[in-house]
Amino acid sequence: MVLPACIRRLLGRDSAPPVPFSVLFKKFKSILERNNAILELIGDMGDKLGGDYIYDRQYILDSSERLGDQVFKLVSDLSLLCQRKNAALFAAFERIQRKIQEELAGRRTLSRTDHILPLAELTHDLADEGGNKMAGLGDVRNILGFAVPEGFVVTAGAYFEAMEQAGLRRQAAEATRAFCREGGAGLAETSQRLRRAILDMPLPRPLAKAVEQAARKLSGPGRALLAVRSSAWGEDGESSFAGMHESVLGVAPGDILAAYRRVLASLFDEQALGYRLHRDQCDEEPAMAVGVLRMVDAVVSGGLYTYAPLGGQDQAMVVSAAWGLGKPIVDGTAETDTFLLGRTPPHALLSSEIAYKTTRLVLDPAGGTRTEAVEQDRRDVPSLTGEQLADLARTAMNLERFFKRPLDVEWAIDAAGALVVLQARPLAIRPRACSLDLDAAAAAKDAPTLVSGKGVTAMGGVASGPVRVVAEGEDLADFPYGAILVARHSSPRFAKVMPRCRGIVTDVGSATGHMATIARELRVPTLVGVGVATRVLEPGRVVTLDADHGVIYDGAVATLCRDELVREDVFEESWEYRTLKRVLRHVSPLTLLDPKSEAFRPEACQTFHDIARYVHQRAVDKLLSLAETHHEITRGAARKLATALPLGLTVIDVDGGLAPGTGQEAREEDILCRPLRAILDGMGAAGMWETSPVPVDMGSFMSSVTRTFGADLAHPTRLGRNLAVVSKEYLNLHLRLGYHFTVADAYLGGSINDNAIYFRFMGGVTDLARRSRRAWLVAAVLEQFDFVVETKGDMVIGRVKKHPKRAMLDKLFMLGGLIGYTRQLDARLDSDEAGKRHLDAFLRRINAARETRQ
Amino acid sequence: MNDPAPGDAGTAATPPPGKTSILILDDEPIVCKRLKPFFQKAGYEVEAFTQPPQALARVGERSFDVVITDLKMQGLDGLAFLGKVKALRPQTDVIVVTGFATMETARESFRKGVYDFVAKPFKLTKILDAVRRIEKERGLVP
Repeated sequence: MVLPACIRRLLGRDSAPPVPFSVLFKKFKSILERNNAILELIGDMGDKLGGDYIYDRQYILDSSERLGDQVFKLVSDLSLLCQRKNAALFAAFERIQRKIQEELAGRRTLSRTDHILPLAELTHDLADEGGNKMAGLGDVRNILGFAVPEGFVVTAGAYFEAMEQAGLRRQAAEATRAFCREGGAGLAETSQRLRRAILDMPLPRPLAKAVEQAARKLSGPGRALLAVRSSAWGEDGESSFAGMHESVLGVAPGDILAAYRRVLASLFDEQALGYRLHRDQCDEEPAMAVGVLRMVDAVVSGGLYTYAPLGGQDQAMVVSAAWGLGKPIVDGTAETDTFLLGRTPPHALLSSEIAYKTTRLVLDPAGGTRTEAVEQDRRDVPSLTGEQLADLARTAMNLERFFKRPLDVEWAIDAAGALVVLQARPLAIRPRACSLDLDAAAAAKDAPTLVSGKGVTAMGGVASGPVRVVAEGEDLADFPYGAILVARHSSPRFAKVMPRCRGIVTDVGSATGHMATIARELRVPTLVGVGVATRVLEPGRVVTLDADHGVIYDGAVATLCRDELVREDVFEESWEYRTLKRVLRHVSPLTLLDPKSEAFRPEACQTFHDIARYVHQRAVDKLLSLAETHHEITRGAARKLATALPLGLTVIDVDGGLAPGTGQEAREEDILCRPLRAILDGMGAAGMWETSPVPVDMGSFMSSVTRTFGADLAHPTRLGRNLAVVSKEYLNLHLRLGYHFTVADAYLGGSINDNAIYFRFMGGVTDLARRSRRAWLVAAVLEQFDFVVETKGDMVIGRVKKHPKRAMLDKLFMLGGLIGYTRQLDARLDSDEAGKRHLDAFLRRINAARETRQ
Repeated sequence: MNDPAPGDAGTAATPPPGKTSILILDDEPIVCKRLKPFFQKAGYEVEAFTQPPQALARVGERSFDVVITDLKMQGLDGLAFLGKVKALRPQTDVIVVTGFATMETARESFRKGVYDFVAKPFKLTKILDAVRRIEKERGLVP
C-alpha cells in the first residue's frame, strides 16, 4: 500500500504534522459516506425480504458483490486514515466474505456450532441447524406461541461431525451421488450398507455426553419418556419425505444414543433415497438433525387436516381423535372419532362420527408404550368436547395461515387439559377445485371493492373476516378471534393481537416500522397508509383484504382466500428468499455494541455491519484525537462553539457550515449548517433541556457524572469530546452527554432523494430494565417520526430518508429535543408505566415546541 | 411454468373477453412464479414462460394485450424477442424488466417500440402501475 508522503509523515510522529487537515478530513468524510452507503445497501437488501419486491438470483449476487467491495474499501480507507495495516480487520472482512460466498454457492454454513439447541431458541432462521421439522415446531412455539412438547434438537452440525469422525461423510456423499448417477441402481444395497455403518458408528465423546446429559435433564426427576424424531434437511419443507425417516417413541434417557443412531441411519432409508432420486435432489448433501422431545402423557390425541380430502367438502377441516397416545391414530390402526369442522370462524361442527374405542396406547412407566383396554363407560363417548374442538380449529387455522399451506397437524391434549401441538407438516393433497387459475382472476374482477389501489403492502397475502376498528389507546384484551384489525395509526401494540387477527389495515403507517416487521414475522397480511380505511370500513362488516394489491373487497371472497393456500410456491421457501436471508445473516446483525468494551475489536466482528460500525468508531476517534492533540493541523477548521447549553462542542467546518469571518470561538448565530441549527434549536426549546432534575451548569453536571461513572469513564479525555463536523447541508455529530452517547449524521442536499438522517442513541450505566425502557422510549419516539428503527440491546438506531427538507429539519429539531429530554431520564424510568408517561410527556412537549417554531 | 394451467385459455386462439391478457417471459423462474399469481389475483389473464422459444410460439398463436419480458436471457436476447413480438403483434405493448439497465439498452428498447422500462429489482406495485397505464391509454378499462 502506497501512502502519500505527507500522510506518512503526519502519522509517523506526533509533533507538528505538516499535512493539511483537509486531506485527512477528506478521507474521514469518505469513510462516513461509504459507511452510510453500506448501511443503506444493507437496508435495501433487508427490504427485499418483505415480499413487496420482485428480485432474482442476479440481484443477490450483484448486491453481495457490491457490498463486499464497499466494505473492503471502507477498511482500506481506515488504514489510510490511521496509517495502520489493520491486518485483523482485513482478516475479519475475508472471513465474513468467505461465508457469504459459501452461502451463494449453496454450501450452507451453520451459524451455530452447538451440538444441542433447545427448542426455545429454534425458529426457521435456524432451519439448517435444526432441520425443517424441528425448526417448524420452533416457529409454532416461539413465534406463534402455542404449546409444544419440551425438547431440544441435536443439530445437523452434530451429524456431520459424527459422520466425519467415523469416516462416513464422504462415503455417504459419494454413495448417494453414484447411486443417483446410475439412476438408482443398487438402491437396496447402498441403503443397507450406509444404515448398518451408521448404526455401528462410534459417536464423538463430547457429542455423546452432551446428548445424554440433555436427555437426562429433559426427562427430569419423573423419568419422563422421550420421543426421538427425524428432522432432515428438506423433510417437511419444499419436499416432504413425509414418514420416510424414523421416529422412535417412548425412549428412556439411558437409551437415547441408540435411538439417536437409529434416526440418523433412517436418512439413508431405501424409500428416502429413492425419493431423493425421484425429486432430483441428488446435488444436495443429505443431513439429519434429530429432535428429542418429552413425550406428552396424552389423554386424547389425534390428527387434523386443515382441508378435508373428502368429496364435496371444500370448506371443512377434518379431525380424527382417540383416547391415549397418537401413534395408532396416525398409523390408522385404531378406531377413531371423526369430526368435520367449518374452516371459517366460528368453525361450526358439520358432522361427527363417534367410534367404539376399545383400546388405547399409553406410556409404560417401565419404558416404551403399551396398549390397554379403555374403560367400558368411555368407549363410545366423544373423545373431544365442543370447546376442545373449537380450540383445535382455531389453532390449526393460525398454523395454516403462518405456513401458508394446508396442513396435517398432530396434536395431543395432556392430563391438565392443555392442547399441545406435536407436529405440523404440509398436507400432500391440494384442496379440490383450486387449481383453476381463472377462478381467482374472475373472482377478483367481479367482487365489489370497498378500497382499491390504496396503501403500501407491509406483508402480502389475502384474508377475510369481520372488521374490527380499534381506537387509539383502546384495550385490546377483547379483540375478537378471526377479525380484520382496522386502525388509524399502525402501532407495535397490535403485536399482541396478531395471533388472533386475520389481517391489519391502517390509515397511516410505514411498511418498515416495528408493527410491519412483526406482521411479517407472523405473516399477517397487512396494508398500511390506506388513508380511508377507518372511514370506509364499517365495524362488523365482513371484508376480504388483498394486501398484495391494496384492495379490500366487500364480503368474503372465498376463491381468493383459497388461492392463497394453493400457491405452487411459497415465497418464503424459494431459493432466492432463503439464500438472501442466509446471506443477510453475515451482513446485517449488529453484534459489536459497546465501544468501551473489551470485545470491541476487529476479531469480534461477525458481520459487515459490525465492520462498518467498528471502522466508523475508529475513524471518529482518530479525528477527535487529531483535533485535540494537533491544534495546529486543524487550524482554521476547528472551533469551540459557545452554546447556551453546556455541550462542550467542537465544530469542524468543512464547507460553509459557519459564517465567514467566524472567530476562534464560534457563537450559535454563526452556524449556517441547517441540520446543526435545527438540533440545537430542538435542545434549547422550552420543556426539553430544562426539565432535567439536576442543575444544568457544567460544573455540577460534571460532578454528577463523576459520581455515577467509574474513575476511568470520568477521565477528561473520555468526556466532553463532543464533535460536530459541518458543512452548509451536512452534519456529523458525536455527542456524549451524561450517560448517553449520540451520533447524528444528516445530509439535506439539493435533491429530495439525497436527504437522509441517521441517528444512533446509546446509554451506559444503569440496570437492564431501565436501559430497555429507555431504548423502548427512544424507539417509540423515532417511529412516530417515520424513522426506520432498529434496537440492539440498549442501542437504538433510526434512519429516515427521502423526506422533503422541511420535514427533515423538523425531525432534526425533534432529535435535539429528544437528546435533551432523555439526558437525565434513566433514573426516573423506574417502571414500564413511567416509560409510557414520559413518552406521552415528551410527545406533548415536542409537539408544542414544533408548533411554536412553525 | 410453461404449461398453461388446465382450464386456462391454453389452446383457444382468442382470449376470453373482458380481461386484459399478459404474457410474462423471464428465464428466472422466481420472477414468473411470483408475477403470475400476482397479476391473476389482480384480475388479469396471465401466461408465464421461462423459455423464449415457447413464449414466441405462443405469441404466434394468439395475441396478448401486454408482454412483460426480461432483457437478458439465455438463448434469445430480450431485445430480439421484443422485435419479433412487435413484428408479429404490433398492437401488443411491451414492458421490459431488467437487472442490467444501461442508457444504451434503454434507448435501444424504446427505439424498438417498448412501452415501459422497469429496472430489477422492482416493487410489485410499480409493474402493476405500468400495466394499468397501458390499459388506460388503450381504453381497456373504464
